[in-house]
Amino acid sequence: MSAVVNFPAKPEARPYLEAFGRRALSRDESEPDWLAGYRKGSLARFAELGFPSRRSEAWRYIDLRPLEQRPMLPADTEQTVLSAATRGRLNEIELAGPVYRLVLIDGRFTPELSAIEELPPGVWLGSMAAAIDHRPDLVRSRLEAPSLDAARPFAALNAALFADGFVLDIAPGVTLERVVEILHLSSGHNGGSLHTRSLITSGEGSSASVIETFTGSGEYWRNDVVELQLAAGAELTRVALIEEAADALHFGEMLATLGAASRLSSFVLLLGGRTVRHEATVRSEGERSRCELNGVFLLSGRQEANILTTVDHAAPGGETRETFKGVAAERAHGAFQGRITVRPGAQKVDAHQLSRNLVLGPRAAIDTKPELEIYADDVKCSHGAAVGDLDEAALFYLRARGIPNKEARRMLIEAFAREAVELVEQEPLREHLLSRLALRLAILEE
Amino acid sequence: MLEINNLHARLTDGREILRGIDLSIKAGEVHAIMGPNGSGKSTLAAVLAGRDGYEVSEGRVTYLGRDLLSMAADERAREGLFLAFQYPVEIPGVNNMYFLRTAINAQRRHRGEPELDAGQFLRIVRAQLKLLDIGEDLLQRAVNVGFSGGEKKRNEVFQMAMLEPRLAILDETDSGLDIDALKMVARGVNQQRAPDRAIVIITHYQRLLDYVEPDRVHVLQGGRIIESGDKGLAIELERRGYGAIEDAA
Repeated sequence: MSAVVNFPAKPEARPYLEAFGRRALSRDESEPDWLAGYRKGSLARFAELGFPSRRSEAWRYIDLRPLEQRPMLPADTEQTVLSAATRGRLNEIELAGPVYRLVLIDGRFTPELSAIEELPPGVWLGSMAAAIDHRPDLVRSRLEAPSLDAARPFAALNAALFADGFVLDIAPGVTLERVVEILHLSSGHNGGSLHTRSLITSGEGSSASVIETFTGSGEYWRNDVVELQLAAGAELTRVALIEEAADALHFGEMLATLGAASRLSSFVLLLGGRTVRHEATVRSEGERSRCELNGVFLLSGRQEANILTTVDHAAPGGETRETFKGVAAERAHGAFQGRITVRPGAQKVDAHQLSRNLVLGPRAAIDTKPELEIYADDVKCSHGAAVGDLDEAALFYLRARGIPNKEARRMLIEAFAREAVELVEQEPLREHLLSRLALRLAILEE
Repeated sequence: MLEINNLHARLTDGREILRGIDLSIKAGEVHAIMGPNGSGKSTLAAVLAGRDGYEVSEGRVTYLGRDLLSMAADERAREGLFLAFQYPVEIPGVNNMYFLRTAINAQRRHRGEPELDAGQFLRIVRAQLKLLDIGEDLLQRAVNVGFSGGEKKRNEVFQMAMLEPRLAILDETDSGLDIDALKMVARGVNQQRAPDRAIVIITHYQRLLDYVEPDRVHVLQGGRIIESGDKGLAIELERRGYGAIEDAA
C-alpha cells in the first residue's frame, strides 16, 4: 500500500508511486496547490490503470516487459551538466537559419542554449515551469480540461511526474514567420525516465510551424506528451524528428483538438531509438477542419517502432489526409495503426489514409492496420495499405546503368521515403528532414 | 569484343529460350539481330545484361576477354556494357539527373577517374541534350515517370550517349516510335559509332536499318541464329517475311 493512493496500486506502478512520494517531499514548495492536486489525481489514475496490457490493441506491438521488470524512475535532473558532446550533438541536429529555439536538456529548460528573446508581439514561448508561474490560467485550464487521454496510463504518469516542457501560445491573427524549434536532448548523464509535458495553443486565424527534435545518448525512457489546441481558422504545422539514442525508449503522445476551419499538419520522421511509440490523437470539433497526418519510419537492427493515429471527426465537413511510409531492415519491427472515426452527424467528411511499407529482408516485419469507423452516411472515406519489397525491375534498371547494388537499393529506399517527406510544405523543415533521412540511410544496414 | 559460344538459356520455369547461340562481334561494328516475336531476341539481351530470372545452362560469353556471365549486372555496366531497355522502368522519387550522375560517377570510380561535380556534369549533359535535341525539362523529372513512349526511348538513347559504352545493345528501341522519334534514335546510334565501340540493334522490323546501316544482320529464330548476312539480308527479310527464311534454312 502506498501513501499516495488509498487502494491497492498495480504492482508495476508501485515503484513510480514511491518515487513520486519522495519527490513530493523535496519538491519546490512554490508549486501551486492546483498543480499538486492535479499531479496526485493523475498518479492515482496511473496506479489504478497500471501498465497497458499487451492484449490491448493500442499496445500490442510494443514489448513492455523490460520496463515492467526494471522500472525506470524519473531522473534527478536538477543539475544538468552541459558537456561538449551535448553541445556538439545539438549543433549537429539543429535547424540552420533563423528560428526561435527552446532547448530542454534531460527534460528541463536550458536558457543558455535557447533563443526565445525576440518573439513578436502576441506570442508567448517558454518552459512549462515558467508558464505555470507566469501563465497559470492558460496552463491550468488546459491541464484540468476533460482530457483525450483519460485511459492512457503513461499520459497519466506523465501528468504526475513531468518536470518541464514548453508552452507556445499564439494570439489570434498572429503569423509566426520563423520556425519554432524545440530540442529535447538526453545528456546521457541521467538514466531513468524523462517526463515532459507541453502545450501549443493557436489563436483564431494564427499560423505557426514547430519542429520538435528528440535525441540523446545513453539509456533512458522519454515519456513526452504535447497538447495542441487550434482555434477557428488557425494553422499549425508540427513536426516530430525522433532520433533517440540506440538504447532509448520513447513514448510520444500528441493530442490535438481542431476548431472550425483550422488546419493541422503533422509529420513524424522516426529514425532512432530502441523502442519508439508515436501516437497522434486528433479530435475535429469544429466544422471544415483539415488534418494532415504524415510520417516515415526507417528501422534497422532490432529497433521496434509503432505509429498510431486516431482521428475523430465529431463535426461535419472535415478533411483528413494520412500518408505513412515504413521501412524495416534486418530484425526491425514496425507497425502502423490508423483509426478514423466519423461520428453520427459529421456529414461530408472526406478522409483518406495510406500506409505503404517496405520490408527489407526475411527477418524484418511490418504490420499495418487501418480502421475506419463510420457512423454518418454522406462521407468519403478510404484507406490503402501495402507491405512489399523493393521493386525488382527498378533495381535492375539502376544496376544496368552501373550503380552498385547497395547504392541502388539505397536510392530506391530514399525515393520511397522521400515521397512522404515532400508533403512537408515549409521548405526549411522539408530540407532538414530530407538531410536527416539521407544521413540515416547512409548508415542503414540491410 | 563479344564472343558468344553455344549459349543456352532457360527461364526459371524450365522453358529453354536460347538454344545454342554463336555470335562474334568486333569493335567498330554494328550488328542487327532480327527475328519474329518469341524468337529469343529480348532474352538474349537480358542474359547479356545480367537480368535475374534466366539460367544459362550451357555455353560461354566472353566480353573484352573476360567471362561476362560471371559478372554482376552492375559490374557489366561499369565495364562498358549498355542495354537500352525495350520497356524502360519508371522510378518514382528518383530524379533523372541525379540518377544519371550517380551512374556516371559509379563508372568513373570504377575506372579510377575523379567523380564529376554537379557543374561539370551539367555542362556535359547540356551538350548531349543539344546534340540529341532533347528538352532540359526531362532531367528534372523522375526517371521515366509520366514519359510518353517516345520520351522513354529518347531517354534511353540519351543515357547511352552520356555513358559512352563499349558495347551497346538496343532492345527494340525502335518499336512503337513515330518517324521523328525513330530518326532521333538513329541519329543517337550513328553518333555513337566509333572504332572502339560495338553496337547491337535488336529489332523486329527493318525500318530503323533505313537510317542505321548495319555491318552484319542475323536472323534469330527458335533460340538460334539461323542465318547471317550483310544489310541485304534485312531488306530481303522485309520483302519476304521471316517464314521464307525459316523455310530456306
